[in-house]
Amino acid sequence: MSHRYRATRSDARVSDLKHRSSGPSRWSHCRKRGIDGSLRTHSDEDVDDGLSDSRHSSFTTPESAGPVSRCGRSSDWGSQVENEKMRQDVHRDMQRYRRRILSAEVSQRERKASSGSSGSCDSREGENIETDEAVLMRRQKQIGYGKNTLAYDRYIKEVPKHMRQPGVHPKTPNKFRKYSRRSWDQQIKLWRVKLHAWDPPAEGSQENTLSDNIEELDLEDIVDIELDFPALADSQNASTSLPVHSSSAEDQDCSATPVKIQKTEEPNMA
Amino acid sequence: MENSSEDYRIQSFDVDTQKLLKTALKDPSSLDLEKVSNIIVDQSLKDPLFSKEAARICYTIVQAEAKQNNGTVFRSHLLNRLQQEFKEREQMRKRSLQEWVGYVTFICNVFDYIKVNNMSMVALVLPVYECLMRLAEPDALLNEEEVECLVLQLHRIGEQLEEVSSQRMDELFFLLRDGFLLEEGLTFMARLLLLEILEFRAGGWMLSSTAHKYYYSEIAD
Repeated sequence: MSHRYRATRSDARVSDLKHRSSGPSRWSHCRKRGIDGSLRTHSDEDVDDGLSDSRHSSFTTPESAGPVSRCGRSSDWGSQVENEKMRQDVHRDMQRYRRRILSAEVSQRERKASSGSSGSCDSREGENIETDEAVLMRRQKQIGYGKNTLAYDRYIKEVPKHMRQPGVHPKTPNKFRKYSRRSWDQQIKLWRVKLHAWDPPAEGSQENTLSDNIEELDLEDIVDIELDFPALADSQNASTSLPVHSSSAEDQDCSATPVKIQKTEEPNMA
Repeated sequence: MENSSEDYRIQSFDVDTQKLLKTALKDPSSLDLEKVSNIIVDQSLKDPLFSKEAARICYTIVQAEAKQNNGTVFRSHLLNRLQQEFKEREQMRKRSLQEWVGYVTFICNVFDYIKVNNMSMVALVLPVYECLMRLAEPDALLNEEEVECLVLQLHRIGEQLEEVSSQRMDELFFLLRDGFLLEEGLTFMARLLLLEILEFRAGGWMLSSTAHKYYYSEIAD
């Protein structure tokens, strides 16, 4: 739908200058350096408006969205409003998340102080939040694609949060944690694969086949399993973070490993 | 909310279209929402009186789609169609004043009714201002229907617009003052409307009771 538009003079006032990004050749906008080796800057030498889209060939369309491009042409009003809403939602989520982290940290510190133990859990998650808006928006979009499926709908209806077992039931990746790009993308991929277990009956999947899905994964992809030590997530070259024990990630709280908290509490229960 | 379709004055449509709109109000995801949005926009352009109802219909469809599946397909189609028309607004105005006035009325009503996170849609702010500034230009002030449209929209959304950008509202009112003072071809009604809107904004988007009496009282001395 966006391809109907041709740039007009009034368009130049209203639209975003960002998307006028193509260079002299069809593919040159993909290249970081020009033919003489110098870094490319965005120039106004548009060949044709239609070529200035920087869409990836493997672009996938989310299930129920309309035919509006989400990559290059975000100057249409529909996308502008969507993006603005997403930005606002991401910021609101971040405030909420920060509050939860801080309150969890405070109560944890109080517990440790009173019990006199020196737990080694990494409770400084509040300082380790992903705050880059572009990253958060990208992650939120990916999460959105997954949540916008029939499978997700059926899943949340079938399994309430308090009944979820870590490892068995898919858990939405925590966009506020620091992960490498690869790590994050892999978490999303695994999450969406797990969700397929709840695809509508026509595909014939029920929860029983969940384990089959998991076994189908190439286990070489899973090099590192995160055990709630976020700092380690990026240390491997092909690390996959399966938040197996960090069930708290669902609520985006830092509660370390539940086991440790129970242990520190026991001496107090005398 | 269960509004009977009479609330939306859709009787002017043919029976099939009426059925389509009724479905859109309750079960939007089952429909071709691009088609629905085009039908609504087309009618608003033809019939300025329908514009306000049209925006309410759009609001209801947006809510219904969000409730059904968190979808925003209808809103996107609506906005992109409005954008299309906006790009050709000068031609539209030359072609038909009525269409142009219908368009401005509609886009301002959409701005008023359809909010995102309880705030005005960011993409519409500048376009709305551009439309109103166009209406405040000397050639437009000569046409009573354009002046009427301008003051009507300012009454409805002026305060909101000023909140979003007071600088642009100031620019608009510079134009209005100039027009009021300098344009010789203005009709009496046009001058009255302009004077009223100048006082209205100066009073913080409301008229003092005495001013109200002056402008709206039926009893003339």
